[in-house]
Amino acid sequence: MRHWLSGLCMLLALSSVARGEINIGDKGGITYSVSSSKTPQVVDDENEIVITADAKRLEIKFKAGRLVYDGKDCGTIKTGDRVAIEPDGKITVNDESRPVTGLVAAWRFFVKHWREFLYGSLAAALALMVLLSLIGKVPVSYNVRNLFVRWKTTVMTALAFTLVVALMTVMMAFVNGMYTLTESSGQLGNVMILSSGSNDEGFSNLAFDDVGNVEKMEGIQPYGNDKRLASKEVFVMGNQTIPVGPGQKPKRRFVQIRGIEDPVVAALVHALSLKPGGQWFSEAGVEEVSGDKASTQNLIQAVIGNGLAAEMGSDRAGGKPLTVGDTFPLADRTWKIAGVLDSSGSTFDSEIWVKRQIAGEQFGKPASYTSIVVRAAGEKEAIKLADKVKASKETALNALTEKQYYSNMAETSKQFLYAIVVVAMVMAAGGVFGVMNTMFAAISQRSKDIGVLRIMGYQRRQILISFLLESLVLALIGGLVGCAAGMLADGWTARSIISGGGGAKFVVLRLVVSKEILAAGLLLSLFMGMLGGFFPAISAMRLRALESLR
Amino acid sequence: MLSLLGTLAKFAVIIVKNVRRNLLRTTFTSLGTMTLVLVVTLVWSVLSFIDDQTSEKANDLKVLITEKNKSPSRLPYAYVSSLKEGAARAPDDVRPVDYMTWVFYGGMLDPTKPSRENFIFLIGGEPEKIPTMMEELDQLGPADRARLDRAVQRMKEQRNACVIGPEQLKTMNKKVGERIKVSGLIFKGIDLEFEIIDTFPDAAKRYAQTSVMNIEYLLAALEEYKVTNKKPHPEGDAPVAFVVLRVKNRAELERLTAQIGDSPLYTAPAVRCESQGSAISSFLEAYKDIFWGMRWLLGPAVLFTLSLVIANAISISVRERRMEIALLKVLGFRPGHVMGLVLGEALLIGTLSGVFSAGGAYLLINKLAGGIPFPIAWFQRFFIPDQALWWGLAVGAGTAFVGCIFPALSARSVRVADVFSKIA
Repeated sequence: MRHWLSGLCMLLALSSVARGEINIGDKGGITYSVSSSKTPQVVDDENEIVITADAKRLEIKFKAGRLVYDGKDCGTIKTGDRVAIEPDGKITVNDESRPVTGLVAAWRFFVKHWREFLYGSLAAALALMVLLSLIGKVPVSYNVRNLFVRWKTTVMTALAFTLVVALMTVMMAFVNGMYTLTESSGQLGNVMILSSGSNDEGFSNLAFDDVGNVEKMEGIQPYGNDKRLASKEVFVMGNQTIPVGPGQKPKRRFVQIRGIEDPVVAALVHALSLKPGGQWFSEAGVEEVSGDKASTQNLIQAVIGNGLAAEMGSDRAGGKPLTVGDTFPLADRTWKIAGVLDSSGSTFDSEIWVKRQIAGEQFGKPASYTSIVVRAAGEKEAIKLADKVKASKETALNALTEKQYYSNMAETSKQFLYAIVVVAMVMAAGGVFGVMNTMFAAISQRSKDIGVLRIMGYQRRQILISFLLESLVLALIGGLVGCAAGMLADGWTARSIISGGGGAKFVVLRLVVSKEILAAGLLLSLFMGMLGGFFPAISAMRLRALESLR
Repeated sequence: MLSLLGTLAKFAVIIVKNVRRNLLRTTFTSLGTMTLVLVVTLVWSVLSFIDDQTSEKANDLKVLITEKNKSPSRLPYAYVSSLKEGAARAPDDVRPVDYMTWVFYGGMLDPTKPSRENFIFLIGGEPEKIPTMMEELDQLGPADRARLDRAVQRMKEQRNACVIGPEQLKTMNKKVGERIKVSGLIFKGIDLEFEIIDTFPDAAKRYAQTSVMNIEYLLAALEEYKVTNKKPHPEGDAPVAFVVLRVKNRAELERLTAQIGDSPLYTAPAVRCESQGSAISSFLEAYKDIFWGMRWLLGPAVLFTLSLVIANAISISVRERRMEIALLKVLGFRPGHVMGLVLGEALLIGTLSGVFSAGGAYLLINKLAGGIPFPIAWFQRFFIPDQALWWGLAVGAGTAFVGCIFPALSARSVRVADVFSKIA
């Protein structure tokens, strides 16, 4: 999201200096404007924007931090920088003498400091309430008493606030859970090596010959005497038949299986460990269960993610999560759990880990990997290593940092976020109309009170403040209860899919109600109260004393 | 009869006058109802589409044959010849009425730039099966159908011809008539050049981002790879994603499932035979919790909020008009009449607002906005179904009734003596 916004800002900044014929268009949500005699061709994704106009090429890479224009490398840039191209081809970065337009600058500032804005707005709204009660002079107790007198209406109106805020909190907690999952799944120093052209391990196919000596590349952290922290993996998807009752529709679930060569190295690379009582699978990856000749069978040893263990356990009577020693059927074989991954909050929580060879043979990838995950010393080193792998002439591979890979997976989160914002806004609008109705009715019922207050010497603005405050108090109560109700959703688990970069992963995520979500809920409630109370309060202010007493 | 109609007309006039008396309140109640009915309509539109896709039909069923244990499914092309006959061996075995083979070919226009604009995903199949076996294409109007048939004919004659959905074309910044070269991703090393011969008609909205090609083109390329490289392509032995069969009814589906399941032809890999509804249902299992939340949390909470808004407005209105209600009773209106007036007022506002909101959403979203952009699974956009007009009416009237029942009962029980004693 932030990269797209930065891209938009950069391109708008770029347009502010372009001269001659200007071509303006829109591509993938990014508005661009480039000086050119031909229509510019624009290719954009989250990390990169490439504009080709009049055979000149402007390439902006946000993550890689490189700017290329007209084939020349113009140095390093970072997200949020402003790039301008002079008509003579000179490049300027963050030239303060060329201020961006007010709206763009404001939006950039907002995106950068949204947390401060959120808390600041909430603090300002609460401070406004205190201030109004201090300067209004109409006793707050008068308004509060009125809320108690017509308690049925108060409860119903506050309940509307509560419902809207509680729903928004739960929905946002879901999206936050998705973001948390994608953020906590990647290690800062890890690099994912995929086949050329692939952005997702689901589509990647690295034949053994293609990999070459990539795991021995400089920059990969050593492990022990002769090993490197490089995990060669094959990621496949299996279908598991779910037991159903008689007469029910047949059901199955998709199960993600990660075949790994060395579980200890893989665990170190992915920073995962097993829950107490578990162990990694053996070198062979199978366990022979002896019986008579006919019944002897090899069980596939598997390590299962915590979330998937709980989901599969729900198929059994009692619904207890699967644990060490339990077995489950998959792909016409019996799989035995050797260990349970302590993987809560990451995408690995929904995976089964087995020996690479077994996963490959069972699921049609016997002679290939889908990815190699390697560990560099740190984040910067990982970026450098990814660039080095991509640039290698020995192999044709794609590489990206694991953080970037999982960040790309947040595409679904964005879609849900947009949908939730729209739903919350429409619901809030409905709530605002409800509050307006209540407040107009309250004013109509208390027109005599208003007349008396006016005769007692209270000024029009004090009447306005009084009714506005009443609406805000209603909103505050409703919002607080809504936040409290929404907090109950914290920790709930939900199944979903995260996707991006062409691939997708089935995940079990945990809903996370954060401070920011609660603040946003309360702010929404106060905003509804303010908007719903303002116009009725204006109408109360305009009442004439004598007329209202008649 | 006439006197009853006259009485009803008299009541209707009073209800309309009451509604018009406080236009501000009526407006706010209506706007509140409309916005909340809009949310319900959007949520139910998504759920109803999903329900429709996953429901089991009684007749004219589609059956999907996929690989049993693996996803994505990969079946050998050799399976197709017997599968399209439903693995029938005996003369009285069930044979499908139609079939289509599906392969997926995805790749990049520029392999050095892995971006969305550069990516294309094509469904390969027998061109002549596209109009009959792909969902909703058999419902196109005569002009659109004729256009699709022309494209199909050309795809049959020219193997590298492809049809690309208008949105996908726009994303790729290409036009009909242009040629594209695709570097294979799923079938790595199989790079194909296509000529874009047409787009899907606008009426086929669900295909706005879909592209189709002739399966023969891919099969020929895989064969060529084998000859050139002296070894088969790694994915060449099982290029088929699935086979779709059409059967007449559920009884035939069950017989067909048994025929295919018992057949010795499909062992490596084993196949799964299931109705399309069941297959889609399995794919959507991962979204089950989201749909559950929409169905049982979001929907009911919005309906409850809607009832609250209406209940609030009507109870305020009843409280303000207690004297008027007492007067009506003095004039001969019975408690039931008073209750009817209050109910009628709420129902009028609720029903009209509901119908107006759902109707407006239908027109705005379907005709102007081109659907609700809510990409979930492989569905990109959702449309408001025709029955949404009934939802608007039912939701508006239903929530109005629930919301106003207590205020109406309260109005019914207003005691004349109490009201006038307070005034006195």
